[in-house]
Amino acid sequence: MAEPRRWYLMTYDIRDPKRWRKVYELMKGHGERLQLSVFRCLLTDRDREKLRWELSKVMDKEDTLLVLGLCGGCVERVKAINPKEDWPEEPAPFRVL
Amino acid sequence: MASIRVHALHALAYCERLFYLEEVEEIRVADAAVFAGRRLHVELAEEGERVELELASEALGLHGKVDAVRRRDGVLVVYEHKRGRPASGEKGPEAWPSDRLQAGAYALLAEERFPGSAIECRVRYHQPDTTVRFPLDAPLRRLVRDAVARARLLRSRTTRPPVTAEERKCAKCSLAPVCLPEEERPQADGQPRPRLFPEDDTRQVLHVTTPGSRVGREAEQLVVTPLEGEPVRVPVRTVSALIAHGAVQVSSQALALCVHHDIGVHWFTAGGRHLGGVGGGAGNIHRRLRQYEALRQPEVCLSLARKLVLARVEGQLRFLLRASRGEPGSRSEVATAVRDLRTLLPRCLQAESLDSLRGVEGAAAARYFGALPTLLGEDVDARLRFDGRNRRPPRDRFNAVLGFLYNMVHREVEAAIIAVGLDPALGFYHQPRSSTGPLGLDLMEQFRVPMVDMPLVGSINRKAWDADADFEVTPEHVWLSKQGRAKAIELYERRKRETWKHNVLGYSLSYARLVELEVRLLEKEWTGSPGLFARFRLR
Repeated sequence: MAEPRRWYLMTYDIRDPKRWRKVYELMKGHGERLQLSVFRCLLTDRDREKLRWELSKVMDKEDTLLVLGLCGGCVERVKAINPKEDWPEEPAPFRVL
Repeated sequence: MASIRVHALHALAYCERLFYLEEVEEIRVADAAVFAGRRLHVELAEEGERVELELASEALGLHGKVDAVRRRDGVLVVYEHKRGRPASGEKGPEAWPSDRLQAGAYALLAEERFPGSAIECRVRYHQPDTTVRFPLDAPLRRLVRDAVARARLLRSRTTRPPVTAEERKCAKCSLAPVCLPEEERPQADGQPRPRLFPEDDTRQVLHVTTPGSRVGREAEQLVVTPLEGEPVRVPVRTVSALIAHGAVQVSSQALALCVHHDIGVHWFTAGGRHLGGVGGGAGNIHRRLRQYEALRQPEVCLSLARKLVLARVEGQLRFLLRASRGEPGSRSEVATAVRDLRTLLPRCLQAESLDSLRGVEGAAAARYFGALPTLLGEDVDARLRFDGRNRRPPRDRFNAVLGFLYNMVHREVEAAIIAVGLDPALGFYHQPRSSTGPLGLDLMEQFRVPMVDMPLVGSINRKAWDADADFEVTPEHVWLSKQGRAKAIELYERRKRETWKHNVLGYSLSYARLVELEVRLLEKEWTGSPGLFARFRLR
């Protein structure tokens, strides 16, 4: 058993290209890009708070961030509507490349 | 005398041990609440109205950053922001004692900087939005001064204060996984303890095995580019360790990124020997000094080594018993080994010296490896059988996998030792040698049977191995092929994630966590509450 993790859909609107770039790169370190400025991240509560803290240091008052926590049912529905996407519940603990 | 951070007084008022771990040993663990608190302070800054002010006073021996100081109708007001909720007092909301102390300390600093006016402290709790006010009066002054004196006293000591008696505080403390209060509180054997030790790391271990691959960095991602094919991008926050097998390039930028995020980077030869690595987190001198002090006493080393060898021999015995259970045929073959191991058990605890202990361990290993071949099923491929342990180089297929997996365990143990802040170069049982850390070799003795021998024998009996494709055989030695190595890694990593219930602590945990727990319990042997090291046994 591991610390519980949930899927989050994170989208943002950054009004300055320089800041946008920073936020974009930071987000790439936490999750997977679905569309421009739309990411999905599998996070524990601690990861989520850390990411929000790191983002708050980069973002400005005029920028906006929307964090959507997805429950198991939500993820199932996402899968049902977008059958191409795989939203694994518990990714493998290791990877061999 | 070095001054004290005001923030540290907050920790001191909460728990003296927390203060010691954070301020003296510099162990800091941030949980969700800590990050949320930091975000509050960043976001407050954006409101524009806030004046963060660095204050320091030699006379008081304090320094710190106060959230805001403002003048309101001739009164100097010191603000402190808190994310949580206030305490409920008799006359409405009140500041928690630790917050009161912290605000009081800031007020004393502000008074010295802006003398001549009355001072009021305001603690604003953001959940719900409540502000608590109180003046800087004589009792509060005394409180701060006493706390500073106490902090100084604790800082001059070299021993950790005991765990707090107020158990409920530990459940919310971010340092509980390091402090291990529940493991220290006296409890009857087998009684389950509330588990504060952290759950599994959710991040992935990244093994790069394709020869010629390059690991580079792109912003916050690790990019693994094989000679042929598409690069694989991995977000750095989802990685817990990077392991390079053989000819794999790791760029200095990627290395720096890993070090920055406390991700261990380890190198193995193509043949599966652990070459070394860099671990996340700097070892702290206090922990190392205590280790040197303890392990320089021969009697401490001997008593630890006795427990360790006992754990190993008993592990071997239990595995033989377990694997031959219900099979009268093989049982008779194993019976001699079991009987011999049983007679060796008491000798582990009676051994007069490390040398005689090594003799006992050697004898046990000979009996154990003598009996191990009989645990393999009758229909197992003859090429996968083995006849005794050999290494450097391994001369049969079984030993090739065994050696590779032992190296994986050694890496695991050494990474845990570094993460806990101990020095792998000073052990208590193995002789100091330059190339391999003796402490890692010591500790891994307990994990050989449960993490390697058991899953390996199981996988051979399940016919998971291909004697041709998984190995590269030359007259002198046998190596794992690329495919075989991937199989061995999978076997090991899956085993690491399996959970079992600890026979003494009573809670369930995975083998991966068990390694770190044993290192922390070992450290407890010389930091005040011995007795739990090397006590785990498989049923």
